[in-house]
Amino acid sequence: MNLNIDAIKGQTFDAIVIGSGISGGWAAKELTEKGLKVAVLERGREIKHIEGYETAMKNPWEFDHRGRPTNMAAEEYWAGMRTGYTPAEEHRYLFENDKQNPYIEKKGGFDWIRAYHTGGKSLLWGRQTYRWNREDFLANEKEGVGTPWPIGYDDLAPWYSYVEKFAGISGQAEGLDVLPDSDFLPAMQMTAPEVHFKNAVNKKLGRPVTVGRVAHLTKPGKQHTDLGRSSCNYRNKCMRGCPYGAYFSSLSATLPAAMRTGRLTMIHNAIAAEIIYDESTQKAKGVRVIDQNTMESKEYFAKIIFVNAGAIGSTSILMNSKSNRYQNGLGNDSDQLGRNIMDHHLGAGASATIEGFEKDYMFGNRPNGLYIPRFQNWGKDKRSYSRGFGYQGGASREGWGRGVGADGFGAEFKESLTHPGQWTVGFGGFGEILPNPENRFVLGAQKDKWGLPILEFSASFGQNELQMREDMMNEAATMLEAAGFKNINAYNKQDTHIGLGIHEMGTARMGTSVKNSIVNKHNQVHEVKNVFMTDGAVMASASCVNPSLTYMAMTARAADFAVNELKKRNL
Amino acid sequence: MMKRRDAISQIALLLGGAFTAPTLMAMDVRKGNTSIVAADFSLTDAQRQIVSAVAEHIIPRTSTPGAIDAGVPAFIEMMLKDCYKKPEHNSFLKGVSDLAKANFLAQPAAGQVAMLTLLEANTKDLMKSYSQKRIKVGDNVDKDTLEGANGVPFWRLMKELTLLGYYTSEKGIQASFIYEPVPGKFELITDMKPTQKSFVY
Repeated sequence: MNLNIDAIKGQTFDAIVIGSGISGGWAAKELTEKGLKVAVLERGREIKHIEGYETAMKNPWEFDHRGRPTNMAAEEYWAGMRTGYTPAEEHRYLFENDKQNPYIEKKGGFDWIRAYHTGGKSLLWGRQTYRWNREDFLANEKEGVGTPWPIGYDDLAPWYSYVEKFAGISGQAEGLDVLPDSDFLPAMQMTAPEVHFKNAVNKKLGRPVTVGRVAHLTKPGKQHTDLGRSSCNYRNKCMRGCPYGAYFSSLSATLPAAMRTGRLTMIHNAIAAEIIYDESTQKAKGVRVIDQNTMESKEYFAKIIFVNAGAIGSTSILMNSKSNRYQNGLGNDSDQLGRNIMDHHLGAGASATIEGFEKDYMFGNRPNGLYIPRFQNWGKDKRSYSRGFGYQGGASREGWGRGVGADGFGAEFKESLTHPGQWTVGFGGFGEILPNPENRFVLGAQKDKWGLPILEFSASFGQNELQMREDMMNEAATMLEAAGFKNINAYNKQDTHIGLGIHEMGTARMGTSVKNSIVNKHNQVHEVKNVFMTDGAVMASASCVNPSLTYMAMTARAADFAVNELKKRNL
Repeated sequence: MMKRRDAISQIALLLGGAFTAPTLMAMDVRKGNTSIVAADFSLTDAQRQIVSAVAEHIIPRTSTPGAIDAGVPAFIEMMLKDCYKKPEHNSFLKGVSDLAKANFLAQPAAGQVAMLTLLEANTKDLMKSYSQKRIKVGDNVDKDTLEGANGVPFWRLMKELTLLGYYTSEKGIQASFIYEPVPGKFELITDMKPTQKSFVY
């Protein structure tokens, strides 16, 4: 008996955080720093910061296929192959094998790219970091689309600032309403043709162009160096893991901060199967997990639970948490669970070649590009579709790869490819996807190897996205023309799905009432108030800017609220 | 009016060069695709001699190492086996066999160069017909699809894999570029000389 009580004690914490990715890391940091004993349940294997980045310092010739995925990898990573880069040899070890982790596409397609290990996709993200603007929070209500946000820019602004200072965001303040400035570290430089482009687009089209805002340390402060983080080394091999801790990740920043409080317990290989609901208290009392290796089932208990398993992961855990009270999934009185999958649609834009600038070159591999904020449906601009898109891209000089399509071979050809080639430039749009309740996933009848339901997706673009994509292509070409660039090649990739942006959002949206949504304005499941969701799942709309910063700010805000509520004995 | 092309060429551009269809088609693998994982692929010694000779013509030994010095011929064979499928295996073997029939190895160097120059010109025409099947999707949008059944032509495979094998090899990188795996900074250069070697990271 004593043994049993000890075991339960060992499995009881003040708070449980499910997932150690970008939002789970923040939940762990904030809750431990506020004095709570926290267990982070990570479904994947343990990866240690620095030593775990097994390919980080490898030379190009140390990759057998020089980066190319093999036929075998292409079959195993079938969803990843659609991105064109995740199964590359240098960082494939950080992505999940799609055959081993199956999902089903019922209607349309959905690209579900997963990373099950310490830090999750925070090790792999694009690191582009933007605040939402005021209108982003108002658009649903103004247009009668989806459900109104119960929070606005002012609710998040102080938390944006708070997380930015800790994460370290490099960027240029521009004073734009459409793209509010962050608390910035020094901006990275633009190349000469990029400066030319910026000036031309600004002068001829009246559109601002700024350097990408990225979660890289360009000038670390004490709060960064205290955690062992240092400056960016401009290798641009970020996706292999950064041994310098120069870009923000759970491994480089939030988990070490949580660990130094002495109140963090990391539990790996623990797949959260369900949240255990206590019918008598009407609260959650813990989480049942399955060890991914031993299949052993185990329960952990806590006063509050933060669900940060990534949009699809978090929602599927709620769906799988069935009780007498919630037979259709925890907190799912609104039947909104699993609906309104969003992402940012991409694969439309333009590229070109640049004449001149022969004497301009650069030393170092900038892990960043340029950003063109949304200009559609903003101010006096009106389009045939609603919402809008931003562009990401930039200019660089060609390398030896230009030889593949060029004429010639032999000694002279060989020598010519050792020098930088001409400048080329390209921009692709990141467009907002509207919430649509029919874009959804459900628990399927088939089970995976852990006995958990395999997810079934139905998702496709609507007319608004398709119209926007035409514009994404055309406007990119217009801007390259305005800058006088040549050989403009405009494209609009047709065979693309929701999910390709790896910005999956929605499926447990935030809203004003239990009737229309899963969580309230404090990120609490409406009527199960000790369960918090603060990742992409809660997004009621998508904006067009990269989402991670908003998850960070929301998580810090919700953790602050949760701890205050605990102190007031409201939870 | 701007030209409208498929995203494929854009992907190629992003990868830093115009890579051939199998690489790109491989990125479009769908679940349930029954494509066969690598049929066995290997070359005979006689075929290897031809592949080595062609690779060395593309990247010859000069004051710096050539394709053979950098182990490119073996790399090509391995890549074809591991990363390409039946159509490319067939087109590659056909190309080698065509050169064998034309007595390629028995030609003097200048004759070999002339044969390869002709092969390159022919391949360009072939690539045009090969890659440009345009279909209508919806009202306004054209879509280019790549026809994979014939396989990427031999010369194109040789050139792509020779350049990839050489310029990412240790010998090729050290001899050709300024290799800076940890640049430590990002700095603009405004007075680049024509002799400037590319930085590789």
